[in-house]
Amino acid sequence: MKKLLVVIVLLVSFLVLAQEVVKIGAIFPLTGAAAATGVKIKYAIEVAQEIINGVYPEIALSLAKSAGLPNLRGAKVQIIFADHQGNPELAMAEAERLIRNEKVVALIGCYQSSCTKPASQVAEKYGIPFVAGSSSSAALTERGLKWFFRIAPHDGMETVFFFEYLRYLNEKFNANIKKVAVVYIDNEYGVHAAQMVKEKIKDFPEFSLVADVKYPVNATNVDIEVQRVKSARPDAIFHASYIGDMTMFVKKYKEFNVVPKVVLSYCGGYQDPQFVVNLGKDADYFAGTNATTSALFSKMPILSKINEMYKVKSNVDIDGPTLEDFASALVIAEAINLAGTTEPAKVLEVLKNHTFEAPYFVSGKIKFGPDGQNVYSASVMTQILNGIYEAVWPETYQTKPPVPQFPDWTKR
Amino acid sequence: MLGQLIVTGVLVGSVYSLVAVGLTLIWGLMDIINFAHGDFMMMSMYIVFWLYALLKWDPLISLPIAAIVTALIAILSYRLVIKRVVNAPGLMALLATFGLSLFIRNLAQFLWSPNYRFVGESILSGKRFIIFNVVIGLPQLVAAFGSIVMTLAVAMFIKKTKFGKAIQATAQSKDVAELMGVDTEKVYMFTFALSGVCVGVAGTLLSGIFPVYPESGAMYGLLAFVIVALGGFGNIWGAFYAGIMIGLAETIGGFYLGTQFKYAIAFLIYLLVLQFRPKGLFGW
Repeated sequence: MKKLLVVIVLLVSFLVLAQEVVKIGAIFPLTGAAAATGVKIKYAIEVAQEIINGVYPEIALSLAKSAGLPNLRGAKVQIIFADHQGNPELAMAEAERLIRNEKVVALIGCYQSSCTKPASQVAEKYGIPFVAGSSSSAALTERGLKWFFRIAPHDGMETVFFFEYLRYLNEKFNANIKKVAVVYIDNEYGVHAAQMVKEKIKDFPEFSLVADVKYPVNATNVDIEVQRVKSARPDAIFHASYIGDMTMFVKKYKEFNVVPKVVLSYCGGYQDPQFVVNLGKDADYFAGTNATTSALFSKMPILSKINEMYKVKSNVDIDGPTLEDFASALVIAEAINLAGTTEPAKVLEVLKNHTFEAPYFVSGKIKFGPDGQNVYSASVMTQILNGIYEAVWPETYQTKPPVPQFPDWTKR
Repeated sequence: MLGQLIVTGVLVGSVYSLVAVGLTLIWGLMDIINFAHGDFMMMSMYIVFWLYALLKWDPLISLPIAAIVTALIAILSYRLVIKRVVNAPGLMALLATFGLSLFIRNLAQFLWSPNYRFVGESILSGKRFIIFNVVIGLPQLVAAFGSIVMTLAVAMFIKKTKFGKAIQATAQSKDVAELMGVDTEKVYMFTFALSGVCVGVAGTLLSGIFPVYPESGAMYGLLAFVIVALGGFGNIWGAFYAGIMIGLAETIGGFYLGTQFKYAIAFLIYLLVLQFRPKGLFGW
């Protein structure tokens, strides 16, 4: 009898003292056409998990000071990864599986907006928070969802940013940019970005849209797309493309001698450091919004430390979309910690009302508006100059002044 | 502009043809749909990429090695997977090649990561001609030329050599060919190897134009099915002409009707042809 009592006491004390584990589901393209980016995002989220579960006094983030979530008795965060392969149906199925079988308390993902859309609908159905890091389609935060939040600036914000940048180039450098073309992939991300261009250009009457070029997902070549662009002779090209397509476009721009004044890219292929690796000098002068750039590391020590940890895993510097997804893991963990519970309603209240510290972004903080959109745009305009993503605008963050005119392809 | 579109269409189509020629050999001879065909091409692209990245070999120098190694991969696939299902109901072979395709793609991702890679510098890269305002990229021109030479070589081999005649005999009736002393087992294996050579050459020529990543062969493989069905199963020149047709339909149709429809137009032509000529345009 005594022995039985001892066993029961030990068992009960083990159960009481056993550390709770908070499970968060992360759905990304780990295989398939966008796997190159998906795998890098996975590394970044693993870094976020290490920061939360370990002790990193040199990183000035509240969750880095102690191991685990302090308000949940040091509970460790376990990120459970799922692969949607770039397939929206699979993203939905994986969201369902993670919630029902793995019992995750929140979801993050999915990079491609086309996958984030159905996966977040599942989170909405079950009433658990979904924090998207880098998905940029504005439509995501226009659905009136209660449980959906997004960190990256959406393509509507990016479009306005693009036009304001063009205006800046015209005013400051007399760039004389008037004609704009939009080139985009035929999916949620690309189509919505193009819609935003058509809508927002009305507020910038000095610009006109001269070409609207949509190309299929998994295109084997982009020859006719580039010929359509060339025949329209735009001064500026807005691109909503992934890394593979974007690289093919640059090669064809060179072959067909397309020389615009600027090419600006939405969050996608341009931001992947592989873009410079693949194209070398030909990548120079392309520009786009970016949540970060290696040129900023020396100015932002916390970002530099995070990059150090990330680079051990990935062998490349952290890029904008990857940092946004890294932020999504930290934000949801911090919200759970501040709520002191995994109870969805309480976590939701924190997500709605709290301003999260984000010293790794130039904005320094994250605050979600009533529609779930982060009101602080984390982006700067970057331009590749001598193989480095330099911050060129706004001038406050400038690491190099912008080059407002592409040189001829033969003069690089 | 129409001149440019026609040239582009022919160049794009001839590369499709080369991918399709290897597929039509297997389909015509063994009545097997090889879902892993595009993945063999992806493997050859990786061989070229690694020879370039590690040894700085130009793709044109790597071509014979890529073709031979791809042929060996095809032989290995035949011996380990296809041979066991060649006499089983058609669905078995289809599922087996589908599994093989998934295995090769995932193996590539495991070994080399999903990163997009390019053969940055080669003898051909960045070179082009301009004739009457029509831009012709040298890599595309060489790919088209390689496609024609390869198609011609395969067609001549099948028509003129003793082994080629054995292939034809096996395609017509395996049992009768065996009665005539043809080693059909050897014929099947050799045809797989020949298909590997074709797709190995295609992959090499494409490696300077198209990104190298585990899914590189997916869309090319799909288009090759359409081209083979359009050209007539087992018809080598049929596959070649159908490839050019698809290339032209894609570029001219896509340019005037909308670039987003370029593949839809190609698939529509395929569906229409199958309605009226189920054996394909050049089938019998």
